[in-house]
Amino acid sequence: MTDLLETAQVRAMYMSDTASVIEIISDHDEDDGDAAEAEFQDEGVEGQFVLVDNDTVLGITGYREVVNCDATFYLSWTYLDQQYRGRGLGKKMLGNVLDRLRDQDARKIFVKVSDYQQDGVNVYAAALSMYKSFGFKVEVVGEDFYDQGEAQTILGLEFKPQSDDVMVADEKPVIRFNGLFEIAETDGAYTFEWIVEKSAGFFGKRSFTPEDLEVGLRSVKEQGGRKIFLTFPSNLVLIHRPLQAVGFKYVGQLKDYYEEGLHESHFSHDLEGLGQT
Amino acid sequence: MLPVRDDNPQVDTPIATYTLIALNVLAWVFLQGLGDEQALRSSVQQFGLKPGELFAAEHYTGQWSELISSMFMHGSWMHIIGNMWFLWVFGDNIEDSMGPVRFVIFYLLSGLVAAAAQIFSGPSSMIPMVGASGAIGGVMGAYIVLYPKVKVHMLVFIMIFRVPAIAMLGYWIGVQVLGGVSSIGASGGGTAFWAHVGGFAAGAILVWFFKDEEMLLNHPYYGWKQKANPADIWKDPNNRQ
Repeated sequence: MTDLLETAQVRAMYMSDTASVIEIISDHDEDDGDAAEAEFQDEGVEGQFVLVDNDTVLGITGYREVVNCDATFYLSWTYLDQQYRGRGLGKKMLGNVLDRLRDQDARKIFVKVSDYQQDGVNVYAAALSMYKSFGFKVEVVGEDFYDQGEAQTILGLEFKPQSDDVMVADEKPVIRFNGLFEIAETDGAYTFEWIVEKSAGFFGKRSFTPEDLEVGLRSVKEQGGRKIFLTFPSNLVLIHRPLQAVGFKYVGQLKDYYEEGLHESHFSHDLEGLGQT
Repeated sequence: MLPVRDDNPQVDTPIATYTLIALNVLAWVFLQGLGDEQALRSSVQQFGLKPGELFAAEHYTGQWSELISSMFMHGSWMHIIGNMWFLWVFGDNIEDSMGPVRFVIFYLLSGLVAAAAQIFSGPSSMIPMVGASGAIGGVMGAYIVLYPKVKVHMLVFIMIFRVPAIAMLGYWIGVQVLGGVSSIGASGGGTAFWAHVGGFAAGAILVWFFKDEEMLLNHPYYGWKQKANPADIWKDPNNRQ
């Protein structure tokens, strides 16, 4: 048997690889397979890479750049065919993609990992330790994110050292909620969409209030939602009191998410108990 | 002694401050002929505030609009430059604390109280009073209440000193009160000290009703001590997941 670690190559993914890639992902998690297929259709396969040996696809990884951020990326679907695990191929594939990002001046990359348990075993434990071996650090753990009892861990890796001393100016935009939806890949976790209204402060116009939040909370509850997750840039000073007033909890921060010094703050609200005061 | 600038950051473009400055300059150019002697004299007579004219029944002409129009007239180049300079330096931060619409109302009310103070000090005076100083006194009164500790860069002769607003504006209002007291019983023109004092007091009081706490939240120089950052509420373990 040839040494796959030597012969397998990482190359850009083509649309024609989709079927074999989806097969590998679905083999782990069918929901992820469906979600990945939809994503490849909608957003294309730019930034996606496959590990191949001769013409056989062994694994998939890649990245997507986060819009409106300074060279921030998310690691996209990263899966290795079950039968090739434990040979260092995952490391080879991930290392290759991280090197590509480093070469194109990426600043930071994040990856989301579930702690899904199957028969008492965390099926993503190996992936988690692989990410950590590359220097990824746990930044945010959203409890009960994917489902009750299934948390989402977000890890971050700095390509360039980010300073803690960068100060970003406070902002007080007038924020309005204009929608809500169930977060993809979750069961009952919702988020609110929001926009920034122009001409803030003309008559001392107010950003969102606890009452505005309560409208959203009740609406999610009515739709059968279980939990709400919200994220905001860390330099918005008007959001904290209203969020705290209606019972949102602080989950954590993705450091330097938007740019150096500007983080993404995460908040969550457990809807249980709402209306039972 | 001139405040060159302050260390107070400007958040929004101060459109009301700019507009007020523009109106004063336009009045100076088009109604007062850039200080041309004849245009100046007639504009001051026509638009200036003459307390005696308002209240003395035999002279009553019903020119209550003088109360407002006098705020946009000036008596000399130095007068308008000095006033506009102060408005430029201090107005933007007061506008930032309440928004442009409220700021304009605040400014005019301060000017009206300033005029009332001057009328009270000499109800029968027929010497026309002009100038934005009363309303700008209100801006300075608000400034000392909102931002007492912010540093103001003062030009004294050829040196620049950075002094806290409370000291600079405290000194300014002290001079006005002394000037006002020493002018009691005197007749003739000069600085309307009581208008400055009245405007300053009006601004220091009105600002409590006009300021918007939300716009001032997290302002680095608001008040006497640094307020807790609103994000600090998440440090409480009860507020964490």
